[in-house]
Amino acid sequence: MKDGKTLMNFGEINRRTLMIGAATGLAVSAMPKRLFAQGAPTLVTSIRSLSNPYHAVWKTGAEAYAKLVGLEHVTLVSEGNSEKGIADIKAMLAKTGGNMVLNSDPNDTPDARPIVEACKAAGAYVVTQWNKPADLHPKDFNPNYVSHIEFDGISSGKQIAEILFKTIGGSGGIIALGGQISNTAAIERKKGLEAALAENSNIKLLDFQVANWKSTEAFDLTSNLLTRFGDEIKGIWAANDDMGTGALEALRAEGLAGKVPVVGIDGIKAAVDAVRTGEFACTITSDPFWQGGIGLALGYNALTKKFDPTSEPPEHREFYGKVVSITKDNVEEYYKTNVESQPALDWSDLWDRVTGQIRT
Amino acid sequence: MTINSETMKPVTNLERTSAMDAVFARFFRGEAARRLRTFAPLIVLVVLCILITIANPNFIELRNLIRIANSAAVPLTLAMGMTFIILMGSIDLSVEGALSIAAMVLVLLATNDANANDYGWLAVVAAIAASTAMGVLNGIIQTVLRIPSFMATLGVWFIGLGISVFMLGGSAIRLMDNSIRSLALERFLGLPLAVWVAAAAFLLAIVIQYHTRLGRHILAIGGGEDVAELSGVNLQRVRITAFGVAGFFFGVAGVLAAAQLGQSNAVIADGRLFAAVTAVVVGGTALTGGEGGVLNTLVGVLIVTVLANGMVLLGISPYVQQTVQGLMIIAAVALSLDRLRLKIVK
Repeated sequence: MKDGKTLMNFGEINRRTLMIGAATGLAVSAMPKRLFAQGAPTLVTSIRSLSNPYHAVWKTGAEAYAKLVGLEHVTLVSEGNSEKGIADIKAMLAKTGGNMVLNSDPNDTPDARPIVEACKAAGAYVVTQWNKPADLHPKDFNPNYVSHIEFDGISSGKQIAEILFKTIGGSGGIIALGGQISNTAAIERKKGLEAALAENSNIKLLDFQVANWKSTEAFDLTSNLLTRFGDEIKGIWAANDDMGTGALEALRAEGLAGKVPVVGIDGIKAAVDAVRTGEFACTITSDPFWQGGIGLALGYNALTKKFDPTSEPPEHREFYGKVVSITKDNVEEYYKTNVESQPALDWSDLWDRVTGQIRT
Repeated sequence: MTINSETMKPVTNLERTSAMDAVFARFFRGEAARRLRTFAPLIVLVVLCILITIANPNFIELRNLIRIANSAAVPLTLAMGMTFIILMGSIDLSVEGALSIAAMVLVLLATNDANANDYGWLAVVAAIAASTAMGVLNGIIQTVLRIPSFMATLGVWFIGLGISVFMLGGSAIRLMDNSIRSLALERFLGLPLAVWVAAAAFLLAIVIQYHTRLGRHILAIGGGEDVAELSGVNLQRVRITAFGVAGFFFGVAGVLAAAQLGQSNAVIADGRLFAAVTAVVVGGTALTGGEGGVLNTLVGVLIVTVLANGMVLLGISPYVQQTVQGLMIIAAVALSLDRLRLKIVK
C-alpha cells in the first residue's frame, strides 16, 4: 500500500481539506466527555481513507476486534492529510484523557514521531504500521509505543517468484515489471525476485522493465515484450497487482490470458478474481483485516498489563508481519471468508505472524 | 472602423527574413530545405523503422505492427484533440483530467464490480459528453474569465482528476460490459476495434481541419489572433468550440483506455499529457500555433510509439528510455521549425 501514497498526498495542500480537517477536530473535541466511559479504554484506529478497499477492510478488522473485547471503537480518517491525521489523534487523546489504544497507519513517514510523542505524553498505548522514520524506535518510548509492524518486500517478492516458477514447471523465461525506480517497496520486491532467480538457475529473466506501479504502463510494456520474446515468455512477475492486471489485459488481447501465468502483490479484488479464473498464479496480501485488529490487540493487552512491552524481545517491538499468499489452492476459501464474509480471527496469539525483526 | 488593407497583407516567412541572417539562408532556408523540413518527421519515422528492423527483425512482423497500432490508438485519439488546441497557439493541460473523467463515468455507468448500473453504450455516450463538457468549460474559462489557457486547463485538469479519484474511491473499478470490452478484444480485419475507432477519430480530425470553417478559423487564430479577429473570426466561439472538440477526442480516448485495461483507476491517465504534447510537437506542429496539423500529429504519434516499442525490442534499459524520449523531443522541435528565423524565444 506504500505505493498508493503519492496518490493520496494529492490533497495535502488543499485549503478546503485543511478546513474540513480542522472542523472535524473541533467536532471531536466538542463531543460530551461522558461518551467515553471512565474505566474502559477507547480503541482508536487512524487510517488514510475509507474509500480505498484496503483501509475499508482494515476498519472492519478493527471493529471485529472491538466487538470481541466489548469496547468502544472510533475510526479517524486523515484523507491523506498529515495535519488532519495528527490533529484528530491529539483531539482524541485530550478527550479520553489518554485512556486509549491507538492503531495507526501514519499518512507519511515523518508523521509517526508526533503521533508517538503525543501518545507517550498522554499515557496512551500506540502501535504504528507501515510508516515510521528509521530512527524512531518503540523501545525509546517505553511502555507506550508497543510495536511497529511492516511487511517484508524482499520476502514478498521472493515468495511470488517462487510460486510463479513452480507454476511454469521450474524452467523457462519470465519477464518482470517493477515499481518506481526509487521507491523502497519497489527496490525490496525486486531484490526478492533476484534472490529467487539466484536459487533457480533454470529460470531465465528475459527482461526487467519499470511500469511505475501502473496498469496502463504495464499494458504497453507487456505487449512490446511479447513482440520481443514471443513464446519464450512463460510467466510474468509484477511487483504489484495493478501492474499484474495491466499485463494480464495485454495477454488477453493476444489470446494468452490463462496460458501465461501472472503473479502480483497486494491482493486487490481484480487479482483475487484472476486467481480464481486461473489467470493469476498468485497474489499476496498483508491481510488488512488482521492488521486492523492486531494493532488494537497489542495496545489493549499492554494497557491492561497482560504483557509488558518493556520485557518483550526486539523482534516483538519492530517486526515484519506474515503475508498471506492467495493461490489456486486456497483462493476459494479466501474468497468465501474474506470477500463474501468476514474472516474469523480472534487475535489471541499476539505474535503468531511475527516473521522477524525489521532490518535497519 | 476602416482597415488599412496594407497592414492586412499576409507576410510570408521569406519576406520576414532580415538581411542579417541572409548568410544562413543558403544552407537553411532554400525552398528545398523548407520542403525537407516539412517532411522531416516522416523521414525520422522511416529511418527509425529501418534502424529498429535491422537491429531486431521481429519489429517488422505483422503481429508487432498490429501491436504498435494498438498502442498508438489511445495516444492518437488524444493527440488529435491536442493538435487543434496547439494549432490555435493555446495549450490544453486538462488531458489527464478529461480522460480520467471519461473513463470514470464509463466504468461507473456500464456493468462494473462496484455498483449495479448497466447502461451499456449509453455509458459511452455519457462518458464522451462529460469530457466534452470539460473541454467547453476550458474554453469558457479562457474566453469569459480571460485566463490564459495554460492556467485555465491546469485548473480543470485537477478538478477532473479530483472528481474522478473521489468517485472511484481511490481504487480500481473493473469494467465488466463485454460489448464495450470488445473494443479492445475483438478484431476486424486483424486489427482490434480500438484501432478502427482511432482511425475514425483521425478521419474526423482531418475533416474538421481541412473541410470545415472551424478548422480554418483555428489555423487563422494560431497564425495571428489579431488578424483573425479583424477578418471577422468570432474568437470566443471558435475557442470554446475548439476546446469542446478537444474534450470530445479526450473522451473517446478515455473510453478506449478503459476498454483496453478493463478497468478505471485514479492513475489511468498518468503520463498521457506528456505523450500527447510530445506526439504533437514531434510531428512538427509548432507550439506557437498556426503551423502543422493532424497529419503531422499522426506521424508524431507513430514516432513516439515506434520508439517506445523499439527501445523495448532492443532491450534498452528502462533507466535510459526516458532520457531518450526527452532528447527526441528537443531534436524534433529543433528540426521541425526554422529556429534561426524566430525573433523571440521565450
